[in-house]
Amino acid sequence: MTPTVPELLLGNMLCLADPPPQESLGDFFASRVGITGMISMLCAQEAERGIEARVWENHAVREVLTTASLRYGADFAGVGGEDEGDLTLTSLDAENAALRRALTTLHIAAEDAGDRALHHEILRLYIQMADARRLDMPAAPAG
Amino acid sequence: MSLSDQLTAYLTRIWDKPVIVEGLSRIPGGASRETYRFDAVVDGARRGLILRRDPPGSLIDTDRRLEFLAYQSFFGRAPVPEPIALEEGGAELERPFFIMSRVDGGKAAGPFGANPYGEHAGAIGEQFFTALGAIAAADPATLPIAEAAEAPALDACWKRELDYWEGVINADELHPQPIVRAAMRRLRRNPPPPAVKLCVVHGDYRSGNFLHDEKGKMLTILDWEMAHLGDPLEDLGWATDPLWSHGETERVSGMLPLEEAFALWEAASGLKVDRKAFEWWSLFASVKGQAIWTSSAKEYRDGGLKDPVLGFSGWYTARRQDVILADRLARLEGAI
Repeated sequence: MTPTVPELLLGNMLCLADPPPQESLGDFFASRVGITGMISMLCAQEAERGIEARVWENHAVREVLTTASLRYGADFAGVGGEDEGDLTLTSLDAENAALRRALTTLHIAAEDAGDRALHHEILRLYIQMADARRLDMPAAPAG
Repeated sequence: MSLSDQLTAYLTRIWDKPVIVEGLSRIPGGASRETYRFDAVVDGARRGLILRRDPPGSLIDTDRRLEFLAYQSFFGRAPVPEPIALEEGGAELERPFFIMSRVDGGKAAGPFGANPYGEHAGAIGEQFFTALGAIAAADPATLPIAEAAEAPALDACWKRELDYWEGVINADELHPQPIVRAAMRRLRRNPPPPAVKLCVVHGDYRSGNFLHDEKGKMLTILDWEMAHLGDPLEDLGWATDPLWSHGETERVSGMLPLEEAFALWEAASGLKVDRKAFEWWSLFASVKGQAIWTSSAKEYRDGGLKDPVLGFSGWYTARRQDVILADRLARLEGAI
């Protein structure tokens, strides 16, 4: 998913690198520093769990596509190749993009065919996909 | 020339009197406009004002004239600041801007803090949903916003909004998003009934977009930059999206149970909440949210990664919205 952790951490540095104009010091700059801190904290979670989430999602989507290929066409079985060998974020995200596009195509085909079982299976997979990528904000003070 | 000097020159010109600008300071929030507070001293009198200026890049493309007219429409009718001046050409400040009165002594809740209204949640909720009902009760044809806002047919409100936000996703999506795509297909397969009335839609009416005095009083409604005419349930769906619930499941917007919110809104608007139509607008709210976060991610990259608000919205907020969307969609389709 975009933006990536490297982009966010680079962005944190860039947005604080230039001295702000006089009128942007004070509350605005303090808020900006607070957001960069929050991003860094969430990046730590993503560094811990992001690779695992992507590997899991790519595998799960590939499995649905492969199973459905028996009814919806062999092309779905070939999307994304074998399980991940290259575990860099860039490679996993590229793989994920191809798999997600194929999943959307398959989902539309299932909807058009009135294939309620597959439609529901994909919807439940969406819940798992969203949950796997969830970032947890620690309890923050009100305000 | 500093922004303060530019502002001094501008106000001196339009008021035809010497003006001293003091305490110009940018304030956080308002990702689609740069927002500044300042005092203007004229004839020895001090006036607290807010400047809203278009940024070089923004979270959402919005029409500052419509926003200004929305403030004009509701100043005196609902708690909103007084609009003072609009410059669509940019005048002395290089980019389009407008100026409005400042409401002091108020606080806006952060979107993700827990229990932001404390013991005053119920009182704030009453005012929040009553004010939203009052906005829906107004006849847009009699308001300044009618000068510039397109008036869709009652049965076209939903399609116009869905077409617009789907277009945003199509234009700005950087990574495939199967969840929001499935939600958009469901919305098209199951359109809502026509709007019962054409109303002013605030467009971003939610917890965090108003000031309160921390003693249970709502002071002013802010951020009208997405105002338009449409179905009043659009605002109700957006205000009650779980994204703005401060982590609560029993109280919408971290304020009140949903049915109480409906009752307050109905009493103030004179309208009834059609539950099936509301269901559509609720799912739509999450789609619209995801479109905004999608745009945010693109703007973050295009702007050289320099605005952390855009980065945060396009990443953390987008993922939270996906969790909400996936759950809603599966429930509506009977998959769980």
